[in-house]
Amino acid sequence: MQAPRVRWAKPLAGVALLAAAATVTACGGSGSGSGSPGDPVTLTYRLWDEQQKAGYEKVMAAFEKANPDIDVTIEVLPYDQYWTKLTADAVAGSAPDVFWMQTSQFPEFVTKGVLADLTPLKLDTSKYNNKVVEAYTYNGKLYGVPKDWGIVGLLYNVDLFKKAGVEMPETLTWAPDGSGTLLETARKLTADEEGRHPGDPGFDKDKVKTYGFASWNHYQTQWMNWVNSNGGRLLDKPFGRYTFNDEASVQALQFGVDLVNKYDVSPPATRTNPPTGKVTDMFTRGEVAMFPANNALLPFVVPEAKFKVGVAPMPQGPTGRSVNINGLSETVYAKSKHEKEAMKLATFLASEQAQKVMADGGYVFPALNGLAQGYLDYWQKTEGIDVSPFLEESKGDTFSLPVTTGFTGFEPKLNQIFNEMYLGKITPKQAADQAVAEGNASIK
Amino acid sequence: MTADPAGRTGRTGRSGAWYGYLFVTPSLLGVAAFLLLPVLIVLGLSFFDWKLLSDPMFAGLENYRRLADDGAAWHSVWVTVLYVLLCVPLQTVLAMILALLLNQRVRGMRYYRALFVVPWMATPIVMGLTWNWIFDPRGGALNGALSLIGVTGPDWLSDPAWALPAVALVNVWQHTGYNMLFFLAGLQGIPSELHDAAATDGATPVQRFFRVTLPLLNPTMFFVTVTNLIGAFQIFDTIFVMTDGGPSGSTDVINFRIYNTAFKDFDFGYASTLSMLLFVIILVVTLAQVRFFGKRTTYDLS
Repeated sequence: MQAPRVRWAKPLAGVALLAAAATVTACGGSGSGSGSPGDPVTLTYRLWDEQQKAGYEKVMAAFEKANPDIDVTIEVLPYDQYWTKLTADAVAGSAPDVFWMQTSQFPEFVTKGVLADLTPLKLDTSKYNNKVVEAYTYNGKLYGVPKDWGIVGLLYNVDLFKKAGVEMPETLTWAPDGSGTLLETARKLTADEEGRHPGDPGFDKDKVKTYGFASWNHYQTQWMNWVNSNGGRLLDKPFGRYTFNDEASVQALQFGVDLVNKYDVSPPATRTNPPTGKVTDMFTRGEVAMFPANNALLPFVVPEAKFKVGVAPMPQGPTGRSVNINGLSETVYAKSKHEKEAMKLATFLASEQAQKVMADGGYVFPALNGLAQGYLDYWQKTEGIDVSPFLEESKGDTFSLPVTTGFTGFEPKLNQIFNEMYLGKITPKQAADQAVAEGNASIK
Repeated sequence: MTADPAGRTGRTGRSGAWYGYLFVTPSLLGVAAFLLLPVLIVLGLSFFDWKLLSDPMFAGLENYRRLADDGAAWHSVWVTVLYVLLCVPLQTVLAMILALLLNQRVRGMRYYRALFVVPWMATPIVMGLTWNWIFDPRGGALNGALSLIGVTGPDWLSDPAWALPAVALVNVWQHTGYNMLFFLAGLQGIPSELHDAAATDGATPVQRFFRVTLPLLNPTMFFVTVTNLIGAFQIFDTIFVMTDGGPSGSTDVINFRIYNTAFKDFDFGYASTLSMLLFVIILVVTLAQVRFFGKRTTYDLS
């Protein structure tokens, strides 16, 4: 009768001991924040990009060298889980000290008091890309260290252009009525199995071998850019209401859909609609000649492509060129147990020393102005690609993703409604009306 | 446990029971901590208005009132029922036929049996991604095969009429082999004398299947249909990878709606209410099955 008890007692004691040990270390960890000098404080830095982790290991090494009493642990979570986990951690009061933030998620977290006000850092915001600064400013206060920006440009298959004997025009243009060099160029590059182009007699749109352009349901790199370069508006003001069902926006949406269903220069929506869309694969396999993408996609596309990748600026619309710029920032947890140290890290992340590492490694265009050349040099030297059009675009008219609450909930609905539109089942006007209604209902 | 006729219910009986509980304690704790407790918590949460990052506020039956008027939620229930009807009967019949075929004494049968279980071992996510390629309307294998016999295949995943059957097909493909294993085990548990006796009495193979094999397979049938129904009502991962609930909400099953409500809208109170709805539906269906099979099942084959 005794034997089982003894056997049970041991593991139990072990568990108790482990728990006690954990408590002790936990106490040690939090205690050191409030004073005792020798003990280092450990900060957690969370991000979602496996590739950039390598760059940030260098950044953190430099920070730890300058601050021997602070250790930084880098935590990587896949993007799909990142926001769910971060939300759960914020509810439990145990979010990481410093973590990456994205424009579309920012309103949710800042309005709920999860993020610390970074005014005490006294950053000179005029030195940073103003779109990134704007995106993380709420009620006149900065809540994120401007980290980097990514911008939409036009990736193209240089080999396909050569084979078709087509020159990439100096500037691509589009208009709702189908005039402009974009459609003209895309037509020449679209060919069916017999080599006929759209508009040629006998052109078979069901047997297209290469498509000139990729127009598909992707808000960041596609229709939002058409809307903004046609004078349409996504949102009436930051933290405001959606407005992209006005006439100019609907015209722009129509153009995106026409590229697919009327002009036949883009793959059908049945093959490109999310979540199963395969546009990136179609581009890397050489089935699509022109493909709008964020520069952050380069490390994923270039190694896959068996052809020379070129970069061009996005097409100009009736009201000029306006492309999406997406800034990331690093935010500090408002309830961090080591606020002082976390602020120190934030200051370092904003510095030239930190941001230069990320630029020269070809990871990102840093938000701090004047460092972009390092990024250009990286891509020129390692891959022989001139990525300067991305930088040129950033100096012109750019726009951010809509900044308002409830976007996480709205996004799946928006995608479903616009899937229908690209399939041609509802008109752009109907789609925009539905989406705007859903979007405004999701604003909290 | 039978009552002790001699009335010696003292020590041995009771201490035996005590030990019994001791032995099941670990799993009982597991069931309590990871099954009963969460169900109770979710039930409790369903009476709260709790948007994550805000404080929960007691809302009484507000969430249930909202559910009663929520056409989209009831649409999801309908889609889920359709999915179950597409999946479970087909899967069960196919598994049964496979089991009958694989119950033959033929050389190399072991390998065939193993082969049919392979799909069950694949991760639903990876499988969903692979099937996305197969279902591609233009370059996909399925429509490629159909075009060989002169049929133009549909736009599987972007046509509201075909998306749900397509997703169901993937799940049938994945689970049939696994279910076959249970039927195979059940078939091998049926004494051959019964078949011999029936054959001697002049029963045809068809009669023997419906009068002898099928009734004696009831315990297996009970297990397979209960687990399949529960699994089908809880379908999520394939939908998540293949359709995101679209097109036009045609694959917007209840579990996917729960996920979106909780982790996209961060509305945990209402997500809990939807979870309770799913819980009740599964409970009722399972109880109905228990009643149905309870009257018709014999576990004693000797």
